[in-house]
Amino acid sequence: MDKLNIDRHISQQYNSALDDLKKEFLEMGGVVEKQIIDAVQSVAEADVDTAQKVLTTEQDVDAREMAIDDLCTQIIARRQPTASDLRLVMSVSKSTRDLERIGDEASKIAKMAIAISESDDVPHGFSELRNLGRQVHDVVDMTLTAFARYDVDLAVEVVSKDKVIDREYDTAMRELITYMMEDPRNISRSMNVIWALRALERIGDHASNISEQIIYLVKGLDVRHQSADEMVQQLNQE
Amino acid sequence: MTDKPLKTIDRVNRTLGKRHRAEKRFRLYGMLSIGFGLLCVLFLFTNIIGKGLNGFTYHFLELQVELDRETLEITDITNENQILAANYSGVVKRSVYEFFEAQGRKNKASARKLIATEGTGYILQGRLKENAEDLVDTQTTVWALVDDKVDFYLKRLGDPGEPGKHEFNEQQLQWIHEAVEAGKLKRKINWAFFNAGDSAHSEEAGIRGAVMGSFYLLLVTFCLSFPIGVSAAIYLEEYAPKNKWTDLIEVNINNLAAVPSIIFGLLGLAIFLAFFGLPRSTPLVGGFVLSLMTLPTIIISSRAAIKAVPPSIRQAAYGLGASKMQVTLHHVLPLAMPGMLTGTIIGLAQALGESAPLLMIGMAAFIPEIPAGVTDPATALPMQIFQWFRNADAGFNEKASAAILILLVFLIIMNALAVWARRRLERRW
Amino acid sequence: MNTNVMTETAGDIVAENKPVTADTIAEQNADAYETVGNAFCDQAKMSMRNVNVFYDEKQAIYDVNLDIGTNEVVAMIGPSGCGKSTFLRCLNRMNDTIDICRVEGQFYLEDQDINDKKMDVVPLRARVGMVFQKPNPFPKSIYDNVAYGPRIHGLADRRSDLDEIVENSLQKAGLWAEVKDRLHQPGTGLSGGQQQRLCIARTIAVSPEVILMDEPCSALDPIATAKIEELIDELSQNYTIAIVTHSMQQAARVSHRTAYFHLGKLIEVNETEKVFTNPDHELTEAYITGRFG
Repeated sequence: MDKLNIDRHISQQYNSALDDLKKEFLEMGGVVEKQIIDAVQSVAEADVDTAQKVLTTEQDVDAREMAIDDLCTQIIARRQPTASDLRLVMSVSKSTRDLERIGDEASKIAKMAIAISESDDVPHGFSELRNLGRQVHDVVDMTLTAFARYDVDLAVEVVSKDKVIDREYDTAMRELITYMMEDPRNISRSMNVIWALRALERIGDHASNISEQIIYLVKGLDVRHQSADEMVQQLNQE
Repeated sequence: MTDKPLKTIDRVNRTLGKRHRAEKRFRLYGMLSIGFGLLCVLFLFTNIIGKGLNGFTYHFLELQVELDRETLEITDITNENQILAANYSGVVKRSVYEFFEAQGRKNKASARKLIATEGTGYILQGRLKENAEDLVDTQTTVWALVDDKVDFYLKRLGDPGEPGKHEFNEQQLQWIHEAVEAGKLKRKINWAFFNAGDSAHSEEAGIRGAVMGSFYLLLVTFCLSFPIGVSAAIYLEEYAPKNKWTDLIEVNINNLAAVPSIIFGLLGLAIFLAFFGLPRSTPLVGGFVLSLMTLPTIIISSRAAIKAVPPSIRQAAYGLGASKMQVTLHHVLPLAMPGMLTGTIIGLAQALGESAPLLMIGMAAFIPEIPAGVTDPATALPMQIFQWFRNADAGFNEKASAAILILLVFLIIMNALAVWARRRLERRW
Repeated sequence: MNTNVMTETAGDIVAENKPVTADTIAEQNADAYETVGNAFCDQAKMSMRNVNVFYDEKQAIYDVNLDIGTNEVVAMIGPSGCGKSTFLRCLNRMNDTIDICRVEGQFYLEDQDINDKKMDVVPLRARVGMVFQKPNPFPKSIYDNVAYGPRIHGLADRRSDLDEIVENSLQKAGLWAEVKDRLHQPGTGLSGGQQQRLCIARTIAVSPEVILMDEPCSALDPIATAKIEELIDELSQNYTIAIVTHSMQQAARVSHRTAYFHLGKLIEVNETEKVFTNPDHELTEAYITGRFG
């Protein structure tokens, strides 16, 4: 038997198709990440131009999603991937949807930024928004890194961080509700902020979903719909 | 590097002509060798057929013979011995003298020499044996055999140098030509050649005895070598363990096939005649010897046929739980049968043409009787041919060529049989 | 430990470890090797224990333990020369016909050790039938092909019984409709796929308990292959099936459990779903994803 390298597929084309898939996914992740940064920035600085940029990028993200889906279909049709390859294709296919949703949420924030910029006064809750925005961005960044490195630990961290984000969101919400109760005139403005916070929280959920897919990709374990503790327990069993 | 580098196709084209020429030459060599072979075969066949066809015909003189008791010296026509011993040549001679209107001792002798009186006498004897009562004291027409010198002369009439002419005097030549012109002396198919046994006289000699001898030989050979050969092949292929002993046996079988056939004759002489004391010159012993000679061929071809049975068929049968014997009998043997039969027939054809081993066991003797069984002394076709060719008489040479034709026909029939058997059995599925 | 290695192999974007080759892994596993996954089952029809097979001095199979459950389809996959066919042929002692082949170990068909030299192979092969790689119908009629097994085992006393067996077997093999009007024409005149189904009909005509299939579709076109696979699925209702295949997709499609052989060793046995989505062993992973083979 000659020396065979089990790192690589016998088929170079198959290899490069899978590499392309990963590259495309990470690129899309990069674009979406930038969208989040821009969106949060546009809210924080009432920057309409940046917000507009986020909205235009949204079309790019949609196009990328379709391209990746197409690539997945092609690989399934031509190569009938199995095992880790199959898990890669499946998880990328699912995660792409989450990435696209993240893009959508970012667009929502951007739209809100435009709406807020039209009214002059600075609404309450911006600091929370910025704070949450930074954390959400961190989580998305970690998710993409975890994917690039097939890093399960990092993915688990993302899931647990998402819980932190959820708590922060709750706190911010409570604060804003109190604020609105104090002065009902603030309600319409605060609602915009709430929507933005809500969007950020959703982004965190999507990142968490992607992380679960990464765990499936690497470990072959379906860890969806579990608490972080259960997840860690299951991972340790393996 | 001023030249533009040649493209592949240019390089290919450059040598293309040379390659085509080499191709043609190569084909030519093959055609030449086949042509040479065909030429040899053609030469052989024209030569043998040209000579041999003469052997099938003979010249006959239409004679009116008076079968009177006195000359025949028969007193009692119911007495078989008298009929057998009657003086037939006497009546024939008398008719000959009458026919040629020969007068005087010298002329009578000349006339007598033109006809094979004894041979003609046998024809008459044969007729009387069947129906003496009606024929005795009547006149009958008989196509009398001419003397073999006359036949030789007449068959070569047109040839340069007029071979055989010097044998005759003026009177005889005149008679011969008159008889030919009168339509009384004719060339006819010599049925005796097919019906008679060997004889000292070429005009009476036939191949019946040799053909029957060969038939009995082959019968014995087939009955012995086919079952033994096939069983041996089956055992060696299907049952025998593969070890040094079976290797040794295999080598020996292959070597036996290459042993000169005369050695088998010696073996037969030593074992069957000297040791077992079987009667010499018989097809039985000849068949034993030829079986020994044919066996290796049959074993080798049968083994090849068994080997050629696809292993998938064997596996299928084993997979269903068939025992070894069932696999062999139900599947291997039927599939190998065409090949085995072909090998056997080719082995038998070889045996048919074999003469050397038969020499050693006395089947080269002069045996005029037609054998009626495997224990009667007999000779075989190739032996007969050999003996006739050895004979100085020109008439026998002709017969030998004719016998060769018969032998060839038998060989062709057997080979055709082999092809047919293979086709027929194989085509079933 | 295995999973770690696998993570590295899969993550070839960032992985910078030296190339892992099939040979190095096989070497690592040469001394202490253990089949991963689930080689045993509760309702075993056949149980193989400590199987070693030698061709002369060359060892072809190393210490294999495997159960084949009742009415289960077990697929055996692996690169060429990995011993999967050899192992399959041990299950009805077809290796007996190869002189230089020596088989050690216990093969239990239910409670009987079939590798016992005293055991008669004829009844064994009536219980464990086999379908071969190349369709190999006998050069006889379709009817005689199917009737051959029942005839030699004396399963039918009367002609009508035999007719019934033939019809039933052809029905089960899904061939009856196609050949019922030409039962007495040669079986070799059928198409490749029909021939293979005829061979399956011939095998089930003796009502075996286990059917061994040695790459049954390797000589067939995809449609014929699909029909055979459908047939395997139907047969698994009543028969225990062990199938060797070169097509991983086929193993994935037809089998309940998949066994992966590598260089004469049974590397992994697992539920087919698991093997094809998340195999335990890196060699299995490498083989089924097409990284060597």
